[in-house]
Amino acid sequence: MSFKVRLALVSLIVLIMFILHNSFWLWDLDDRVPLLFGFMPFAFSFYVGYSILALIAMRIIIRLAWPDPPAEVLEPHRGEGHLE
Amino acid sequence: MSNTLGIGVVLLYFTVLVGIGIYGAKVSLKTREDYFLASRGLGSIAVFMALFASNITAFTIIGHAGFAYGTGYGAYGYVIGWSIFITPFTYYLVGYRSWLLGKRYGYATQPQVFGGIFDSKLVALIFLVLLLYYTLPYLVVSIIGGSLAFTTITDGVIPYWLSSLVIIGISLVYTIPAGLRGTVWTDIFQGAIFLTVACLLLMALARALGGFSAITGQIMVENPAMLQRSLSPGIAPINWFSFAFVNSIAVIVFPQMFTRILAARSSSNLKRVSLYYPLALAAIFGVSTLLGVWGSVAIPGLEGKDADNIVPMLIHQFLSPVWMILGLVVILAIVKSSIDSQLLSVTHLVTDDLLPRFKRFTSETAVFWGRILLVVFAAAAYYIALVRPAAILSIAAFAFSGFSVMLPVMIGALYWPRANKYGACAALIFPAIMLHLWYLEILPKWTTFGFMPVFPAFILAILTLVVVSYLSPAPSQEQKEKTFGIFDKVFTGGGN
Repeated sequence: MSFKVRLALVSLIVLIMFILHNSFWLWDLDDRVPLLFGFMPFAFSFYVGYSILALIAMRIIIRLAWPDPPAEVLEPHRGEGHLE
Repeated sequence: MSNTLGIGVVLLYFTVLVGIGIYGAKVSLKTREDYFLASRGLGSIAVFMALFASNITAFTIIGHAGFAYGTGYGAYGYVIGWSIFITPFTYYLVGYRSWLLGKRYGYATQPQVFGGIFDSKLVALIFLVLLLYYTLPYLVVSIIGGSLAFTTITDGVIPYWLSSLVIIGISLVYTIPAGLRGTVWTDIFQGAIFLTVACLLLMALARALGGFSAITGQIMVENPAMLQRSLSPGIAPINWFSFAFVNSIAVIVFPQMFTRILAARSSSNLKRVSLYYPLALAAIFGVSTLLGVWGSVAIPGLEGKDADNIVPMLIHQFLSPVWMILGLVVILAIVKSSIDSQLLSVTHLVTDDLLPRFKRFTSETAVFWGRILLVVFAAAAYYIALVRPAAILSIAAFAFSGFSVMLPVMIGALYWPRANKYGACAALIFPAIMLHLWYLEILPKWTTFGFMPVFPAFILAILTLVVVSYLSPAPSQEQKEKTFGIFDKVFTGGGN
């Protein structure tokens, strides 16, 4: 899979997460969904679930598009920037 | 008895901080890279706690709980919902690429990274000016918020002026000798304290109020509107949508956060931080939301700013004095961990990016000037926090938005080879001017089409960068290669 395709998939994940955060049509469920663990209403428990989803999304993004750098790239390039 | 215990706990807390400062000074090298970046050697836990503790301010426990008191459970998603995902995502989107360039070229601040990418001293200067312009008022407001909370929780025994002095003074004790290493070590200690105590506090209050289910049942009977987001006009969908552009995407632009990312030892450290950050953010704001909403039925009738005192009032009314002491330590830990990082970052910006424009000096002299400037900025911030000038407070009110609208230039610089210095300068200045015109109500409200000003300003920043870059000469191949050649090697193995 090319890096451009991977980056497109990352963008799709970000879009899905943004849509989920702005899912105003779900607000009607606020007083209908039972309390989670007896004390978390939907407006609260939704974001407990969202945080777990965010962890999973970050895991996928890391696997898809976050390669470790080869050692040569991290070699300080003398004469540039603000090296000591 | 509780007074003695209280003094003992606070003294122990201060002793640990001073000890960290002394030990940090012993192991620190007298180089600029070590003082401001801990020699780019921070591990996963250090980077995680440094970012998290700097990110969490007095607003988290005091302001947010007050907001939840009036708004209900919807305050949770409104304030932190989008941040839970997008803040750690920006550590990847902007942080990782900036970190790569930092390792390669020795960049230590945003003016260096983005001035370097565009090969422009002007871009670097605009970054420097805007970052100082937004960070300094934000620093002062953090001190004011923390000092007010400190005074409230001590029932006025420690007056406001002394609270500010204590908060700033203790921060300096470990920041001056140990630099970034000192602030990061204390962040680990303080972050662990406030996460642990906040969770214990939630459980103790739940118990005192009859249990998690009982207090929730009481809310459903006495104030059912707290459960329904559609009944809170303050978080109407258009505000909800706009607010996603205020605090969540601003975090990576804060100089104190950006620098800490550059100080990470390896790519793996940053990955771990991004992975687990959502859970930590969700946890601390979850506690704060529940405390605020519970407070609305436990101590009803608070109006306006009085609601910001809900957490100290809950502790005072329902828990033993020992909890007040623990609450005091939590407030101190939260406030100081953000103030010390802001102080160090403005000092770093001036030492590394402003002073060298006038005079070059050695690494050791830079550390000396850094220490002097820390004291100067701390004294200035203390004075402003006492005087509280309206102009400073009004800038702080839209500082988050100001940081947010700088993000398009940072992303453009790291992902779009056609972006150039002309586009970057225009896209930094024009949206900043528009933000002022909107927030200072010089332009009529309808010109934002009902959104918060940050959203149209963000769109303007993107459009300006694209249009001006296309209308002016493209960057040279050599300049593009310097940045994107590195990214090609990392992300595509040298191909495309």
